[in-house]
Amino acid sequence: MSREDLLQKTILLCATVGSGTLVVGIFLLMLHLGWPLLISGQFFSLLLQEWRPADNLYGIYPMLLGSTVISLLALLIGLPISLGTAFATTVVAPPWLRSASLALIRYMAGIPTVVYGFVAVFFLVPFMREQITGGSGLNILSAALVLAILIAPTMVIFFVNGLSGVAKTYSLAVDALGGTPVQKLLYLLLPQAWPALTAGTVMGLGRAMGDTLISLMVAGNSIAVPGAVTDSARTLTAHIALVIAADFAGMEFMSIFSCGIVLYLFTVLFVSVIRLTSKTRND
Amino acid sequence: MIRFAERFVVFFSLACTALLFFCIAVVTVYVLWRGLDAFSISLIFGGVDPLDALLGRRPVFDGLFPAIVGTLLLVVSAIVVAAPVGIATGIYLADYASPRWRVTLSALFDVLAGLPSIVIGLAGFTITIYLHRLFPGRIGPCLLISALSLGFLVLPYVIRSTQLALESLPATLRLTAPALGARHWQNIYRVLLPASTSGILGGIILAIGRAAEDTAVILLTGVVASAGLPRSLLEQYEALPFFIYYISSQYTTTQELEMGFAAAFLLLVLCGSLFLLAYGLERLLARRFVFR
Amino acid sequence: MRNFFATLTVLCAIMISGAAVHAADLDAFTGQSGTLKIAGGTAHIPVMKDAAQAIMEMNSEIRITIAGGGSGVGIKQAGEGLIDIGNSGREATSQELETYGLTMIRWAIDGVSVVVNPKNSVQALSSVQLRDIFAGRLTNWQEVGGEDRPINLYTRDEASGTRNVFWTKAIGKEAIDTKANVVVSNGAMKTAVANDPYAIGYVSVGHIDETVAAVTLDGVTPSIATVKSGDYKVARGLFSLTKGEPQGLAKLFIDYLLSPSGQAIVAAKGFIPVK
Repeated sequence: MSREDLLQKTILLCATVGSGTLVVGIFLLMLHLGWPLLISGQFFSLLLQEWRPADNLYGIYPMLLGSTVISLLALLIGLPISLGTAFATTVVAPPWLRSASLALIRYMAGIPTVVYGFVAVFFLVPFMREQITGGSGLNILSAALVLAILIAPTMVIFFVNGLSGVAKTYSLAVDALGGTPVQKLLYLLLPQAWPALTAGTVMGLGRAMGDTLISLMVAGNSIAVPGAVTDSARTLTAHIALVIAADFAGMEFMSIFSCGIVLYLFTVLFVSVIRLTSKTRND
Repeated sequence: MIRFAERFVVFFSLACTALLFFCIAVVTVYVLWRGLDAFSISLIFGGVDPLDALLGRRPVFDGLFPAIVGTLLLVVSAIVVAAPVGIATGIYLADYASPRWRVTLSALFDVLAGLPSIVIGLAGFTITIYLHRLFPGRIGPCLLISALSLGFLVLPYVIRSTQLALESLPATLRLTAPALGARHWQNIYRVLLPASTSGILGGIILAIGRAAEDTAVILLTGVVASAGLPRSLLEQYEALPFFIYYISSQYTTTQELEMGFAAAFLLLVLCGSLFLLAYGLERLLARRFVFR
Repeated sequence: MRNFFATLTVLCAIMISGAAVHAADLDAFTGQSGTLKIAGGTAHIPVMKDAAQAIMEMNSEIRITIAGGGSGVGIKQAGEGLIDIGNSGREATSQELETYGLTMIRWAIDGVSVVVNPKNSVQALSSVQLRDIFAGRLTNWQEVGGEDRPINLYTRDEASGTRNVFWTKAIGKEAIDTKANVVVSNGAMKTAVANDPYAIGYVSVGHIDETVAAVTLDGVTPSIATVKSGDYKVARGLFSLTKGEPQGLAKLFIDYLLSPSGQAIVAAKGFIPVK
């Protein structure tokens, strides 16, 4: 290898190792700052405690539950819609509609989160308050509805790629046997594409859980443990945004790193699931 | 029975598609409709003469000008950071890394792509506090910190698109130059990279769109409600997405609310078209190599 | 010629603030330049914005950035030296003042008022009722003479000085129901209550306008007059804090707030001047 080649390689390696180190570094940073909590054994009790700073309780259980419930509910609403849209875009709809739909999905993926939040505050929240849930309209269900729309394009893009990535020869075989497009979809594409379907679903869940603005603007941010989908709730992400202002040396500030650690670990979990499912296909 | 199930699938798919597109239409039209009255030159410049504002001769207080400039500066500096690092990493992953390294590193970048932006904002904020203690009075939350954090946030878009574009090049193209005696890096810079331009560009455009819309990162790293034009990267700034968020919770007059809707429409059009553009490039790329 | 424009700008400022302004108050900023970072209390923001605008229009070499966050943020960030002036809607504790070596200046008097939506028929409460509502013991407007609709509670985050004053002086340190929605500023509280017909919350008296209704508490309606006379008890000062004695632009800014033109802005924004 010549000197130029070596130099090039070194520069590229530096960039790669640098960015990789930063990703791990963020986790180590959170761990370092939350360390006093971890070694005192408080980390796990924080996960089960309530948040009442006045009584020296800095638990994140309500937010953990809030994040989980809101993102799962968003997935529950968003998944069937996204699946249906992906079916239509790959098989069911006439060709002109398919390409229009693909483009619209991309446009939708570009809609800023804060715009969804803005429309939700002035359009969805009053509607929910007056017609559906009562109360203030700021609740888990409102946030989940908006998040369902927010994560739909991510899921649809994954699903469409998975469904249209099935080998052409199989597809032609079904056609030759006289199968209808819908039969092809149900009995060939769906079973073949399931790794992509899983990956898309987990991606959607991850996006819903990682979002800050929607829950901050629409979910109500109460610190109570939510008991129903019409209750106001706070997510881990919104909690970070709300408590960031606390005293840098205090327990409150330290405890938001436990939120950071939990969110980081969730991300690692989601990525592992996606990688494992897509691996089975390659083997 | 099977017939019925199949019919149901058709109906269900079309209904879902219709529902989703109805939602997009509602968001777009509602924002436009509510913000329509605010569209005029004073939406951007307030009462100030546009030329004076552009030359920085007079500060704009009642317009979007400082927020627009803030967002532009932010996006440009974030991309200046993310593009070279991301492209370099993408090349390394596609052309140099051993299979095991490639798997480990792409897993790491997948984690980065999945990290909630508020976590990156929190890291940026924490590092700022450290820096502030090291250099008292010099560094606080500012444009530079936000740009670095945002650059990090959008890095996976650039890495992935570069890697994917390089890996999807046909073997014939990949082998020709070395066969003619070109060096490895000559092959990369003269042949492979130029052939992947549209793919890489697509990733960068997505990164721009993502950097322009993100609110959670800047919320923690230096955006403020009122700042005017920043004079250096070490100052605090205003930004469009934060302006929209701020107005949603504390508008005082109908005019201010209309301005919020108008700002939301501007950002919507900007980000929506960036994503469409990236999609167009992706299609172009797919078509170019499909028969080779 | 330059002077002429300066005068013109000041004249504009007079018209904007709608009060008599002494042009001389801004003279101290002539020839100054630099950046002044302000953050913290959200009740202060309207006054800060107008004062900053008057100063920056007179001298464009000066840049003033204004952020919210709450009183806790103002005190801590000023203490850490992240900002030049930290605003607080409550008095900093002696511990906070000592740890950080802060100087606290009061430039306005304000109150904290309970607010409901103007459409709400309940516009007067006793302090016992108020306490029961915020503790979550009374949950329906019917129980205090209104419609049969659940009460939607709104409160502020822990960094809020307004929350601290309300909690101490209005509800006797009774724990606020955890089910309450949390908003991040006085402005956001006002907007939330203005948009929700069944809401109850609390804001700075200076922020009250026709979009929300101030609730009469034990027969006293919160207003500038009743706060001033001492009849309305949930009163507080608006403070600005600096690390050490105020210096440079921070000192000029605080002096300006205390000058006749600064105090005119204070009055125009609905607060009680201290001079």
